[in-house]
Amino acid sequence: MFKFLFKKEQQVQQLISKYLENLRMTQEHFEKAMDCYFDFGLGENCDFLIKQTHKFESRADDIRHEIIEMMYSKVLIPESRSDILRLLESIDLIPTHFETVLFMIQGQSLKVPDFITPDFRELLRVSLECCDLVIKQVEAYFKKTEDIKALVHTIDSHESRCDHMEREIVRNIFDSHLDPFEKIQLKELVIQMGEISDQADRVSRSVHIINIKRRV
Amino acid sequence: MISLLGGIFLGWSLGANDAANVFGSAVSSRMLKFWTAAILGASFVLVGALLAGQSGIETLQGLTSFTSDQAIIASIAAACTVTLMTLLGLPVSTSQAVVGAILGVGLLNRQLNVAGLEKVVVCWIGTPVGGTVLAVIIYKLLAAIVNRMNLNIFQSDILARLSLIAAGSYGAYALGANNVANVTAVFVGAGMLSVSAAALIGGLSIGLGILTFSKRVMETVGKKLVRLDPFSALVVVLAQAVTVHIYALVGVPVSTSQAVIGAVLGVGIIRGVNTIQRRTLVSIFLAWFVTPLVASIFALAFDFVTHLHYIPSH
Repeated sequence: MFKFLFKKEQQVQQLISKYLENLRMTQEHFEKAMDCYFDFGLGENCDFLIKQTHKFESRADDIRHEIIEMMYSKVLIPESRSDILRLLESIDLIPTHFETVLFMIQGQSLKVPDFITPDFRELLRVSLECCDLVIKQVEAYFKKTEDIKALVHTIDSHESRCDHMEREIVRNIFDSHLDPFEKIQLKELVIQMGEISDQADRVSRSVHIINIKRRV
Repeated sequence: MISLLGGIFLGWSLGANDAANVFGSAVSSRMLKFWTAAILGASFVLVGALLAGQSGIETLQGLTSFTSDQAIIASIAAACTVTLMTLLGLPVSTSQAVVGAILGVGLLNRQLNVAGLEKVVVCWIGTPVGGTVLAVIIYKLLAAIVNRMNLNIFQSDILARLSLIAAGSYGAYALGANNVANVTAVFVGAGMLSVSAAALIGGLSIGLGILTFSKRVMETVGKKLVRLDPFSALVVVLAQAVTVHIYALVGVPVSTSQAVIGAVLGVGIIRGVNTIQRRTLVSIFLAWFVTPLVASIFALAFDFVTHLHYIPSH
């Protein structure tokens, strides 16, 4: 009934949806770039997909800044404002990790040995599943459509699995006969890939806390 | 009109200070623009004074009998008490200052309505206690409703803002209904004003205080309330408004600040945190005793001064 009084709130809500949609696109391109890298190695196609991922990551930054600007023009009460801004800041680290992984591969011309590629693929798959769930959880938080607590548990178990896989891959790398320099490079890549699920877990926990905080 | 100046000043300072208790949280958190709050506050104060201020006016004017000089003395004594104690940074309640000044006049007249006074004192003690009890009840009730509504952050934000505006408007209505007696009851007692004229002048002077001088107080006092969280701030404003409204119906002007302190204490009990410092509670006790005492002394002193006569030396 009072919708006309709260136009700015509606605009912020729309921008957040746009931001999450863009995050999905970033993730989609990151996944394509990684698949391309695992299948064919670095090349023109992979470079194009890395560029596309970067483009969507930059767009996410722009949307986030637009949201911040709008929030500071007296939209929402200060407590809600700081909760949303902190949450967006935390979510924004996910595409940053996507980009870091890709730039690491591209900048250092990394080559993942065949014997370990399936493990890398699996780590990537579970990490991206974590991201899917986080986006779903954030949407659920803003729209109150799903049980947030149940999603926290699922994301947490995925993240634990990623940690386990990370340790396993690092062990396999160091057990192999690869060049020590290569081993360190690959270990760094695994850790960076692991950061994706870690960050997704951090976001999921903040959503949960913000949600609990709102209960009276 | 000049003889009413003491009362008008009292109403003005009351509006400037007490509006913070009803709209402070909404204004200081930028949920509401100051001017919207001030206009809503001033309007609802006036409506409250006109529709429900009669009972308090009758109680206060019934505490003793006044001559018109004594009515002026009582209002100036109360105004001076409020000003002095504010300047000294001591806790002060306009309601208690007015009753103290009336007490002073009553002592001079050797005529005091003890039963009426008892009722007033009981209500003073009942104000913070009532605020606490009502805050606990309102908190439980509203929490049950809000938690059931399953609102998202935007919806709950909008609800918080609308509720604070509604509660603030109701608080302003209660403030006008309850505190208008402080401003002009003595003049009704002296036969200088009719009850409805007293309610109108009182309501207008409180409203003037809100419009002209309440911005800074709203921002500073309101920030203390907002630190609680929007829901608790809403409970505090609502509990304070209901408490003050109940005493308006009983016909005893009480302190809105003390009702707020009681309500904040109530929220603290529910949330299991210490929201009120012991010093604040001590300040309420001090206000109960020191304010009426100072006002009585002022009334006696002013009466003494007005009865001094120049005796030329031969």
